[in-house]
Amino acid sequence: MNFIDINLHFLLMLGFYICGAIFSLIFIKNSKLGNILSNILYSIASSSGILISLFYLLSNKEYIQLAHIKSNIPFLSFKLGISNLSAYFILTLSILTLCVSIYSIGYMSQYYGKRNISSFNFLFGIFIVSLISVFSSGNMIIFLLAWEVMSLTSYFLVIFESGHTETQKSGTLYLIMTHIATAFLTVAFITTYSYTGSFDIVNNSALIPPFSKNMIFLCLLIGFGTKAGIIPLHIWLPYAHPAAPSNVSALMSGIMIKTSIFGLIQFVFVALGGGFEWWGITLLIVGSISAVLGVAYALMEIDIKRLLAYSSIENTGIILIGLGISIYGFTKGNSLLSSLALVAALIHLFNHSLFKGALFLGAGSVHYSTHTKNMEKLGGLLKKMPYTGLFFLIACLSISSMPFFNGFISEWFTLQALFHSIGISTQGVKLIAILAAAVLAMAGALAAACFVKAFGISFLGLPRSTEAHNSMEVPAPMLMGTGLLSFLCIIFGLFPNVILILLNKISLSIVKTSVIPDLKGISSFVYYPKGLDANKISPMFLFAAGVILAAVVFLVVKLINRGTKERTYGTWDCGFKELNPRMQYTATGFSKPLRIVFRAIYRPSRELQTEEGTSPYYPKTIKYVVLTQSVFEKYLYIPLTGLFTAFSGRVRRLVQTGSVHTYLLYIFITIVGLLIYYRFSNS
Amino acid sequence: MSQFVYVVVQLSVILLIAPLISGIIKKVKALSQKRKGPPVLQLYIDIYKLFRKDTVISDTASWIFRATPYINFTTALLAGILIPVSLKLTPINFGGDIIFIIYILAMGRFFMALSGVDTGSTFGGMGSSREMAISSLIEPTLLVSVFTVGLISKSTSVHDMMSTLSSIGLNIFQPVYIMCFLAMIIVIIAESSRIPVDDPATHLELTMVHEAMLLEYSGKHLALMELGAAVKQLVLITLLVNLFIPLDSLVALDNALLAIGISILLYIVKVAIVSILIALAEINTVKLRLFSVPNLAAISFILSFLGFLQYFVVGGSHG
Repeated sequence: MNFIDINLHFLLMLGFYICGAIFSLIFIKNSKLGNILSNILYSIASSSGILISLFYLLSNKEYIQLAHIKSNIPFLSFKLGISNLSAYFILTLSILTLCVSIYSIGYMSQYYGKRNISSFNFLFGIFIVSLISVFSSGNMIIFLLAWEVMSLTSYFLVIFESGHTETQKSGTLYLIMTHIATAFLTVAFITTYSYTGSFDIVNNSALIPPFSKNMIFLCLLIGFGTKAGIIPLHIWLPYAHPAAPSNVSALMSGIMIKTSIFGLIQFVFVALGGGFEWWGITLLIVGSISAVLGVAYALMEIDIKRLLAYSSIENTGIILIGLGISIYGFTKGNSLLSSLALVAALIHLFNHSLFKGALFLGAGSVHYSTHTKNMEKLGGLLKKMPYTGLFFLIACLSISSMPFFNGFISEWFTLQALFHSIGISTQGVKLIAILAAAVLAMAGALAAACFVKAFGISFLGLPRSTEAHNSMEVPAPMLMGTGLLSFLCIIFGLFPNVILILLNKISLSIVKTSVIPDLKGISSFVYYPKGLDANKISPMFLFAAGVILAAVVFLVVKLINRGTKERTYGTWDCGFKELNPRMQYTATGFSKPLRIVFRAIYRPSRELQTEEGTSPYYPKTIKYVVLTQSVFEKYLYIPLTGLFTAFSGRVRRLVQTGSVHTYLLYIFITIVGLLIYYRFSNS
Repeated sequence: MSQFVYVVVQLSVILLIAPLISGIIKKVKALSQKRKGPPVLQLYIDIYKLFRKDTVISDTASWIFRATPYINFTTALLAGILIPVSLKLTPINFGGDIIFIIYILAMGRFFMALSGVDTGSTFGGMGSSREMAISSLIEPTLLVSVFTVGLISKSTSVHDMMSTLSSIGLNIFQPVYIMCFLAMIIVIIAESSRIPVDDPATHLELTMVHEAMLLEYSGKHLALMELGAAVKQLVLITLLVNLFIPLDSLVALDNALLAIGISILLYIVKVAIVSILIALAEINTVKLRLFSVPNLAAISFILSFLGFLQYFVVGGSHG
C-alpha cells in the first residue's frame, strides 16, 4: 500500500494541529467560533492521523525518516521518524483525540465568557503536537524536548480552572513530579551518551557495561515510572487528573501516561537491547503492586474523577505486568512468550485509552450537568441522562474486563501471558508469576466492585441532591465523543483481531517473533500450548450464543407467564412513610466492608463530632467523617520533603552567608580549581 | 450436528438438575434436625409458581433492573455450556476457556450488584456492597486453583483440563489435587451464597448478602434470578466434580449413546454426593460474621497456593 505519501501526510497532519492552535488564538475575541473552528481542525487532523498510522501499520515499511536537521554541534541534531511502535501509539492518540475534540465543542461551552478558551485550545493543540513528537522522536534530544513541552503544556492545561487553590496545588505537585521524572531521564540519556557517543535511539547496548546498563534501567524506571504513575511514584496522579478539565484528563490518562510505556519499550528493547532478567521481574512486581493498590485506593474514593485517576494506576500496572513478562521472556530467549506478553501490554494500552477516555468524558458530562464530582451528591442520573449513562456503563463493563467488551481481551492476554510464563520460567519466577496472576484476579474483582460503585451510586437509585435531580442530558457533540469511544469498546471487544493484526509488525520488529499468525479468524484467537480446537476463545461466537440464549429465555419466560401483569410500585421503605435518598447506601458505605478488611492498607480514621442538645441521648447535630490516608504521602513523601527542606535550609545558612567576601572567595576557589583541572586534563 | 446435540444435552441436564441441589441440601438438613422438610422438588414448584405470578417493579428502578434477570440467567447458562457435564460428548467448537468462564460469571454478578443499588433501597446497596467484597476476596483462590490444574494439563480449556485429569486415574490422590479440591469447595460455598459465608434461608438484615440484592424482585424476575443462582451453583459444582472426581474414563462402552447416558448418570450421582457434602458442612457450621469471611478466604487461598507449590516442587504427574 504505497499510494499515499506518509511523509507528506504526516506533516500535513501536524500542520492541521498547528493551524487549529493558531486559529484559536486569532479568534480570541470570538471564543465560541474559535473553539468550534479549532476543534474541527483537530478532528480533521486526528482523523488523518488514524488513516496515516493504519496505512503505515498495514504497509511493509519498517521506518520512515520524516526530518533530519543536523548542526555543527555534535549532539544537537534533530531526527523525526515513524517506526512501527510510534505508528501504533499515534493511532491510539489519534482515535482518542478525535473523540475528545468532538466532545470539546460541547464541553468547553460552559466556559464561554468565563475563561480564556482560546489559550486553552492553543495549548491543547501544542500538547497533542508534543505527544506526536514524543512518539516520532528519532533521538534522545528531541525526545526530551518534546517530553518537556508535553509536561509543561499539560501543566497549564491542568491549572486551567486556576480559581481554586486546590487546582493550583495539584498543578504544582504535578510540575514537581514531572520534573523529577525529566531529571532521571536526562541522567539516563547522558549516561548512555557517555558510553555510546550518540544520542540516537539505536541498539548500542554492546558498548555499555552491565553495571551502567542496570543504572540506566533504574533511572528509566524512576523517570518513566513517575509519569506512568506506578506506586509509590503515583502521588501526583490522583491530584492532577481530577483538577484538570475532563477533556484534558481523558487525554492525560488515555495517552499521556502511556508515553512512559512507549519510552520503556523504546529504550529497554531498542536502545538497551532487552537487558537482563531482573528488569522484567522488577517490572512484573512493580506492575502487580500498582495494579492491586491502585484499584484498592480507587475503591475508597467518592470523587468520581479521583476514582478514575486511581484506576489508571491499576491499568498501568496491568500494562507493566505484560511488559515485564515480555522483557523476561526476551532475555530468556523465549520470543514467543515475549511476543504474547508484548501484545498483551500493547492491546491493554490501546483498550485502556478507549474506555478510560470514555469514562473521563462521561464524568465530564456528569460534572457539566450537575456541577459536582462528588458521588455522594449524585444518583438517579440514568433516567435524566440516558445516553451518557449507557456510554458510561459500557465503559464501566469494559474496564471491569467483562466478556464481550475490549477490557476482557487484554485481561485474557495478560492472564495467558502469565500462565505461559509460569510454565517456562525458573523456580523463583514461577512463584512471582502465580502471585501476580492471583493479584490480577483480585484487582479484576476489585475493579468490578469499584465500577459497580461508580456507576451504581452515580447513575442508579434516587438523586441525592437537587443538582442531580435537575440534571439534563448534555449537548450532542459531547454525546458523540463519549459514544464513539464506548462504541469502539464493544467493536474491539467482539472483533479483537481487527486491532491485533496491527500488532504483527511491531512484535516482529521488537521481539523478532509474532504470535499474531497464531490468532486466526476475525473474532477468535487460538492459544498455542496445546493445539486443540476447543482451546480457543471467540468473543463473537460466544456473544452470538449469548444473544440467542437470551432471546430464547425471553420468549420462554413470555410463554410461561402469559396472562400475568406487570405493575410499578414504590420500593419497600421498611414501613416509613416515604423512601428518601438518604436511606440509600452511600459511596462511602458501599466500600465499607473492604475498607475494614484491608484496614492495614487504608489506615482509616474516623471523626465523630456531636453537638449536645437538651439530653445527651438526643444530640442536636452529628458529624461523622471517615478518612483514609494515603500511606505513601504520610510515611514517604512528607518526611522526605521535611528532610529536604531542613537540609537545604542548613546548606543555605552555611554557604549563602550574605557576605560579599565569601562570594568573592567562592569565585576565586572556582577559578583556581578550573585552572588546576585544565592543567592536568591537557597533559 | 454433534455440537447441536452437545448444546441441547448440556443445557437440559444443567437446567433440569440445577434446582435439585437446593432440594437435596434442604432435605438433608431437615433430616438432621428430625424434621420431614420440604420435598426435594420444592424449588421447581416454587419457580413455576413465581413464573405464573404478577410482577411488581420498583418505580425508582431503571432498565437495568429489568434487564438484570435475563443477563444474570443467560451468563450462567453460557458458563454452563462451556463446562461439559460428560466427557463423552464432543465439546463445543466456539469454546471459551476457564478465564472466560470466570469472567462471564463475574458479569452476571456485576449486573446483579447494579440492580441491588438500582431500587434505592438500603438492603439492595448493602447486599451489593457485601457481594462485591466477598467476590474480590475469593477470586484469587479460584484463579490459582484452576491455573494450577491448567498448568498440569498445559491448557486453559476446561475440556482439556478434564480430559487430562481423567487420564491420570488413581494418581488424583495427590496433595496438589486435594488442596485445589478443598480450595474450590470453599469457593463454591462463597460463590453460591451458602453457610458459612451467607445464609440462603435468612431475611435478617444483618446477615443477608445474596438475598438482599433480590429483595425487590418478584414474579418472573425473581424466578429467573433464583433459577440463575441455582444454575451458577451447579456450574461451579460441575467444574469441581468433573475436574477432581473424573470417572468418565471408567465408562468404556462401544455404544456411544449408552456411554453418554451412563456418564451423565454418573455425573448426577457425583453432583448429588457433593450436595450432600455441602449440606453436611452446613449442618456442622454456623454462619460466620461478615468480617470473619476474609479468614475463610485466606484459608482457601492458602490451600490453593499450597496446591500450586506441590505442582511447583514435583510437577504435575501423569499416571
